[in-house]
Amino acid sequence: MKWGMAVDLDRCDGCAACVTACHAENNISTVGADQASRGRAKHWIRVERYWEGEFPDVRLKFRPVMCQHCENAPCEPVCPTYASHHTADGLNAQVYNRCIGTRYCANACPYNVRFFDFFNPSWDKPLHLQLNPDVSLREVGVMEKCTFCVQRIKATTIQAKAEDRPVADGEIKPACAQACPAQALVFGDLDDPESAVSRLSRSSRGSKLLEDRGTKPAVTYLSRQS
Amino acid sequence: MDRRSFIKLTAVSGTSAALASCGNPENEIIRFVPDEDIMPGIATMKPGVCTLCASGCGLSVRMMMADADVVRNGQAGLVRIHAAKKLEGTAEHPVNHGGLCARGQAAVQVTYHPDRITQPLKRSGDRGQAKYDAISWDDAIAELVSRLDALAMAGNQKSLAFLTRHRRSHRAALVDRFLAAYGAPGAVAYELFHDDVLRRANALSFGREQLPTFDLPNARYVLSFGADFLGTWNSPTSQGHGYGLMRQGRPGIRGLFVQVESRMTQTGANADQWVPVKPGTEGVLALGLAHVIVAGKLRPASGGGRAGALIDGWSSGLGSFAPEQVETITGVAAARVERLARELAELSPSVAIVGGAPLAQSNGLFTALAVNALNSLLGSVERPGGVFFTPQINLASTAKGLSGKATASLPLDKIAAGILDGSSVPQVLLLDGANPVHAAPKGWRVREALEKVPYIVSFGQFLDETAALSDLILPDHSFLETWAEALPESGSLSAVASVAPAAMMPLHQTRGTEDLLLDVGRRLAKPLNLPWENFEALLTESVSALPTTSTFDTWTEAQEKGGWWGTLPAALTTPAAPAAQIRPFAYLEPQFDGDAGQFPLHFLPYASSAFLDGSLAHLPWLQEMPDPLTSAMWSSWIEINPTTAAKLGIRDGDIVEVASSQGTLRTAVIVSPGIAPDLVAMPAGQGHQTFTRYASGRGENPVELLAPVTEAETGSLAWAATRVRVTRVGDPDGRLILFAGGSREEEGHR
Amino acid sequence: MSAVPSPSHGQINTDLLRPLLKTSWKFFAVVVVLGGIVVAALLAWLSQMFFGFGISGIRWPVYWGFYVTSFVFWIGISHAGTLISAILRLVDAGWRRPVTRCAEVITVFALMIGAMFPIIHLGRPWLAFWLFPYPSERLIWPNFRSPLVWDFFAINTYLTGSVLFLFLPMIPDFAVVRDKSTGLRRRIYTLLAVGWRGTPKQWHRLESAMAIMAIAIVPVAVSVHTIVSFDFSMAPVPMWQSTIFGPYFVAGAIFSGIAGLLIAMAILRRVLHLERYLHPIHFENLGKLLLVMALLWGYFVFNERLVTYYGNEPSEMAVFWRTQRESFAPLYWTMVFGNFVLPLVIMGIKRFRTITGCVIASLGVIVGMWLERFLIIVPSLGHKYLPYSYGIYRPQPVEIIIAGATFAAMALLYVLFVKIVPIISIWELKAGDHQPPDGSHPVAEKRSLREVEG
Repeated sequence: MKWGMAVDLDRCDGCAACVTACHAENNISTVGADQASRGRAKHWIRVERYWEGEFPDVRLKFRPVMCQHCENAPCEPVCPTYASHHTADGLNAQVYNRCIGTRYCANACPYNVRFFDFFNPSWDKPLHLQLNPDVSLREVGVMEKCTFCVQRIKATTIQAKAEDRPVADGEIKPACAQACPAQALVFGDLDDPESAVSRLSRSSRGSKLLEDRGTKPAVTYLSRQS
Repeated sequence: MDRRSFIKLTAVSGTSAALASCGNPENEIIRFVPDEDIMPGIATMKPGVCTLCASGCGLSVRMMMADADVVRNGQAGLVRIHAAKKLEGTAEHPVNHGGLCARGQAAVQVTYHPDRITQPLKRSGDRGQAKYDAISWDDAIAELVSRLDALAMAGNQKSLAFLTRHRRSHRAALVDRFLAAYGAPGAVAYELFHDDVLRRANALSFGREQLPTFDLPNARYVLSFGADFLGTWNSPTSQGHGYGLMRQGRPGIRGLFVQVESRMTQTGANADQWVPVKPGTEGVLALGLAHVIVAGKLRPASGGGRAGALIDGWSSGLGSFAPEQVETITGVAAARVERLARELAELSPSVAIVGGAPLAQSNGLFTALAVNALNSLLGSVERPGGVFFTPQINLASTAKGLSGKATASLPLDKIAAGILDGSSVPQVLLLDGANPVHAAPKGWRVREALEKVPYIVSFGQFLDETAALSDLILPDHSFLETWAEALPESGSLSAVASVAPAAMMPLHQTRGTEDLLLDVGRRLAKPLNLPWENFEALLTESVSALPTTSTFDTWTEAQEKGGWWGTLPAALTTPAAPAAQIRPFAYLEPQFDGDAGQFPLHFLPYASSAFLDGSLAHLPWLQEMPDPLTSAMWSSWIEINPTTAAKLGIRDGDIVEVASSQGTLRTAVIVSPGIAPDLVAMPAGQGHQTFTRYASGRGENPVELLAPVTEAETGSLAWAATRVRVTRVGDPDGRLILFAGGSREEEGHR
Repeated sequence: MSAVPSPSHGQINTDLLRPLLKTSWKFFAVVVVLGGIVVAALLAWLSQMFFGFGISGIRWPVYWGFYVTSFVFWIGISHAGTLISAILRLVDAGWRRPVTRCAEVITVFALMIGAMFPIIHLGRPWLAFWLFPYPSERLIWPNFRSPLVWDFFAINTYLTGSVLFLFLPMIPDFAVVRDKSTGLRRRIYTLLAVGWRGTPKQWHRLESAMAIMAIAIVPVAVSVHTIVSFDFSMAPVPMWQSTIFGPYFVAGAIFSGIAGLLIAMAILRRVLHLERYLHPIHFENLGKLLLVMALLWGYFVFNERLVTYYGNEPSEMAVFWRTQRESFAPLYWTMVFGNFVLPLVIMGIKRFRTITGCVIASLGVIVGMWLERFLIIVPSLGHKYLPYSYGIYRPQPVEIIIAGATFAAMALLYVLFVKIVPIISIWELKAGDHQPPDGSHPVAEKRSLREVEG
């Protein structure tokens, strides 16, 4: 099992449904206007946008960026407490309980996908009733980031094991992939050569983000064709 | 200890420390979610319908147990409830196909909003002070009944007014039935971005008074005039799904897409070609393309059919729309017009889309008719890869006594004018979710008019600017706590009736408005004798009339799936209207408010990705969501072209004053390359005076600058027809909050 | 050595023990003021832990700021003692004698202050003890691949070594004070003197121990700041992944340490009236060392910048220009002026190489070196690889108070130390007057304590 994702930039239209879906699934606290202005908003997945050219020959490109779950993750060797480590199934795991908040991992991450909890989270009641019980709340001082919805991975693999069957391709969908109207995000097992994500990752349109940094990300971006 | 032992000890401990750092001790880390033995909480999935916009997407609601502070019978306590946790799209729903837009994802926050109105309220202070006392439901209903009885007794039934949003649903039909039974005029609908111009055009061109549906998965070439169809327009989730398939869903075939607009929308960012055009001239461009196609014999002119006949000059070959003339009027180069036309004709199936700003001009209807004619010419109407019309369920035939007609859109400005000049003042106004005080132009003086209405009742769940004028508040359930349903007018090739039972028990002491109306109808001195005990009964009757699609009866299956969809028999379908005898339309130059000397820039308020017209500004996830084009959060801004900004001495983040003939506002600037030099654009949605803690007093409302220019035929607000003047007033003051740092990739980065 | 006649041993005792035995109101005033600033910083830190780390200016993606700058800066200052004391001892440079203890004290206190910052900058500082490898049922174990863990061990080692290095030569002086005091003070100094009698055997042991420490502490010091530099060079951040960081940081550390020492010496000389012991030649010699280090610093910076410029790697060049000519240019050029231009001019021209000149140059270096740490950290972190994720850091009051108060803390610790230990090593000073002609060690086994005490 090696979890990975393919992002088709030709399908992605920049709608940001993935951004809100991730907040809803992973109990990411809303920091509010004041803290957002101080750079504390935690968008585990963000849709980067880049302008090219000048009016009227202007283009705008979108690119969803989340934790790349790198095979050679630079965030892993530098964490003093093993809070950031690689799991056997290819995820970069962030163990909140081990994190003492040195934030070295965030500096080492070339993709800037790691976020720090600057305050204890709070939800104006009764918004707290929406919280997902399968995802732990992070207290002040720890790092958090995209987990490929590890709670969904775990739930499905446990269920499959209980039913004595393998996990089917496409059975596990992180919140972002499930919400995307254009189905631009495809998640699955890169160790299975026939899975959708494996086939897409082999596409000639495919490349890795910041490939020359040598991080070996598990996410493949399929280039936009226009 | 002596030296020797010291060295030995150091060596031993040092070595063991070193050895411990070899190998992978992290493999012994206990994962937070253990692999065996422990089961996470068990979730149930229930069907639902998202009612935040008119798309009517089907939901799969994830339910789990939660402990809620509730008040029951006046007692506060902690109750274990089955709570909605996460909304997903229903995989088989023909509108959203399993996807769900950002707004739909945030919709769950409506139910759990801290500032929801939790019980009936009666005004205690002066109107507009927003001071209310809690009252019981019995008292509240009794109050409403007595008011309606008083009206009926005085023979003044026509003085009951109902103000709502544009929605096609059983609820809307029930409201109209209620009003008709009572003797009041039909409901008035008002929404800022409601595209009534396009509905009228479709009614004229094709006999279909509804928004169109596009078969994008089969299209090879899409030409969109100003429609943000992947972001906020029409049925974005359905269109987004289709777009993904259009691009990469067919092996070896990739659909092309051209966007024509003056300000780059989120949709336009995805175009293969982005064509800037002068505001209000899109119809000319459409006819220019038609001219080239006909002149080049790429399609027969007769293909224009009924839609073409509505265009002045169609039958004579559209002589005044030759490429050179089109270039002069629209600003699009003649060569480009020729090329686009050829592509449109040759890359078949092709389809043209129009929506948004082009229709919000004084000549918007003409533009829509022109595009309809173009589609007809291309042969894309009701053909694969083209434009379709979702078969509309005729409620008059599925439920007795319901009218199949959609809520009549009597222009709000006429209603307000009637109140202000005293010619027609409703005595009782029922408010159902519309917020014209925020979303209607100042020139209509809606607030002033509403203040003259003696009695206003609101069914809304939140206290917004308009609800704050009400005297009685009878809060509705949220869509997860009651029967949620929609009859989408677009987004699906097959007929759809989205319907789902309540996913959870009501959190507060709210009551379903549909049931409330039926109850009130029974309690009137002259009961309305509506044939349904409750809303469920109405839905059961209506949905059961639809043909079964499986072994289960329609109603049972609909409740399971979250709706009914399939082939609608003709008897239950609203038919297309025949062609009306109407003179053809000619191009008229768009009329803008404000002379070009004093107000040199076109002003474009646009539906924001987060809030649409502002009705969703109260949801914190949407406030914090970075805007797709600017990455702004919790903010308002105005987009200005770099050359224009330089001329005005404005830099990124500066505060400017924007002035129209209607007034001024101040906001922060974002210098954007994706907007024409003579245009400035501002997202709608912020600038609420009152709308929960998350939106109150935040940002600025562009509607305040809009002049009451209307489209002549429909009376719709031409919200893109105002001109403004922009002047710098200060340095950045921290009001603009951006998530992103840089906005351009540097050389060599990937 | 100097034109002034050497003071007699009795004079030495009187001058150097005066601060211990006599206290004026000025001492208390200074302690109160400095103490107040330190308490303010403590309150700031407590409020950071209480209200949340968010009251600092740290933000996405600039996750290190003033605290890590201060950390590196103070660890850098701590290299003063090492160079001066250890190396000068090893080469037996006579002029070191009045200077060694001042320097060693700086090292210990700067280390203590610097070592606070890895804790202050933690998100959950109450769990800092997890960096210590202890047997844990929860399988908590430090990750020895992480430079931060190396920091933990390196700094602790250096601190231990420096404390030893400081303490050992103080023993005979503690004995002097012990023999001159009564009551509680006598009891305290008896403890501190650890039974020093001044016997030849004890002297031999002391000299051997000091020699071992002198040799051992040099590589430790070099490794400490190299490891601190690894905090940066091990992360793939533009302009951090430079192989020059190790030597660059060590050189910078020594550089800032000498500057700190010069300032401390100048203040001591003025306040404690040590004109007879700290001569202009001491300042001049240290000033020459400062000049050498300035040149060395300039060499390293030039090296780093030229190589980056030629490499022309896009993300590195973006950060390069950020400091060279864009938003950070004012700070950058101030740094160059303070670290290079000023010391070169003042220390390079003999006429300016006075005590005042040395102090001015040193102040420039202190400012320049603090800026250098800041400019390594913040411009790079705010400008990594994906432009959408660039960010700008603005320090907040809590960080400014804590970073600024470190200088007050240093001064406070120094003032308190001067009150309890003679700031110039009495016995070494005296031993320096009795240089044996044959070059053997001045304090031979024949010396008795009584003679040394004079």
